[in-house]
Parts: sequence; structure tokens; C-alpha cells
Amino acid sequence: MPDLPTSKPALAGKAPLQGVQFAVEALPEGHLLQLMGPTTLDELRALFDTFGLGGSVIRAAGFRQWYVMGEAPLEPAALRGIAGALPRGVFLSDQSHGRVRIRVSGPRAAQVLARGTAVDLHGSQFPAGAAAMTLFGHIPVHLSRTGEAEFELTVLRSFAEALFGELEPFAA
Amino acid sequence: MASLITCPHCGQRPKEEFTIKGDAGLTRPAPDADADVWYDYVYLRDNPKGLHKEYWHHSSGCRRWLIVERDTVTHKVHSVADAALAELGGAA
Ligand SMILES: [Zn+2]
Repeated sequence: MPDLPTSKPALAGKAPLQGVQFAVEALPEGHLLQLMGPTTLDELRALFDTFGLGGSVIRAAGFRQWYVMGEAPLEPAALRGIAGALPRGVFLSDQSHGRVRIRVSGPRAAQVLARGTAVDLHGSQFPAGAAAMTLFGHIPVHLSRTGEAEFELTVLRSFAEALFGELEPFAA
Repeated sequence: MASLITCPHCGQRPKEEFTIKGDAGLTRPAPDADADVWYDYVYLRDNPKGLHKEYWHHSSGCRRWLIVERDTVTHKVHSVADAALAELGGAA
């Protein structure tokens, strides 16, 4: 039926852009789980490994908060299994359809991001593996450095197009 | 206005990442307290010159509630603590 809403990625149709020393690319909408509570990165890593999600990345997102992200969608049964195995006092919110990941890379990546965030992106302050919740302009983002010249931005779905649009000109 | 706040969890961030939520020195009255007492609590505020404790919510960061002690004359920030952890007696 043509009047039924169809599910499509928030950044569907946005091709990866490669500019001069800067590239921006929408990542697949796989799974993205938010976890909160008194646990540790090691404990979460072990838990997700037992559910066959060793390939998912776990990134700090503030005091006692983490994002678990991966490129493959999670079946509802797998999600229920994880939710049932969480340590006491730890809670999970499935954000797989609520947040979108964007990768930016290239020698100019840190310089472009510095126009939007106040986080000090110098390698000595924000090395590969570092992550922060912050603002890019007026848009709240989770920013992580995945390599010396590679970053990921996680953004609320409704802001994804606006954020991508702000980064596009730098990759022109 | 203090323009840089050092969040105990996130480090130094600009005030744009925070939402100021008012005087942290108020005590909520008992549910059956006089209407005058409630009126005072809900609507009336001091406008202190000098040291002042306020709730700041790191709304575009870690989303923790903080207590910022700052000087309204010099703009100097004296301390920033996680409100919930301070209440529980733990270090921020
Ligand atoms: Zn913070």
C-alpha cells in the first residue's frame, strides 16, 4: 500500500563524499545500544562477547554510560537476551533506530571538527580511542576518535541530515 | 557569567553545553507547609553578589547534574561537583 510509511535509513541516498584531505560517510544503521549503570568497560566487553558481539565497539558516553555499536542489526531475541543478562542496576535502551553514525576522516578531519566542538582534539588530549558527548554547533553528538585521522559522530536520527549537511561542504 | 565550566566527568567545556537550573541552596518545604512558604520557595529568589551555588545540568554532555560554586562579581568558578555523588557523600 503506497500510503504506509516505509523504513529507510535516515541518510539514505547520501553517497560517501571524498574531498581534499577530508571525507564524510554515513555508516550502516546496524545496532546501537545505550547502557547506563554501575558497571565497567571490561564487564560489558565480556558480556557482549558471550553474545557473539565481539565485533561491536563499546564506547564511553559519560559517567556510567556507554554506547555499544555495530554494523549488523540485532534480532529482538538477541536484544532480550542481553537485557536479561545485564549486571544488577544496569539498564539498556535500544537506540538502533534512534541514532545514526557518521564517519569523518582525512588529515583535515580534526580541523573541520574543531569548528563545531569545544573539545580539544589535539592528539595529546583526545587520542585514538577517546570519546566524548559534546555539541557540534547546536547539535548534540557523541564524538569518538577511531584513528589518528578518523572520527565517528553519533547523532540523534532527526539531526542526522542537518549534521551531514554541515559536514558536506568540507568534503566538496 | 562563567563561560568555561570544568565538568568532573567531561573536563573543561563551554557554557553552551550546560543548562543552568537555579539556586542549589534551596530546601524544599514540607508538603503541608504554609502557602507563603511555598510561594517563597517557588517564586522568590535572592540575587547574591559574590559566592553563589547553582545547579548546572550538563545537558549537551554527560547529562549529569552538577553543583557549580561561582562568584557573580569576579566570574571565578570555585568548585564544580556532581550533585548526586555529593549528596551520597562520594567524590565527584
Ligand atoms: Zn559532563
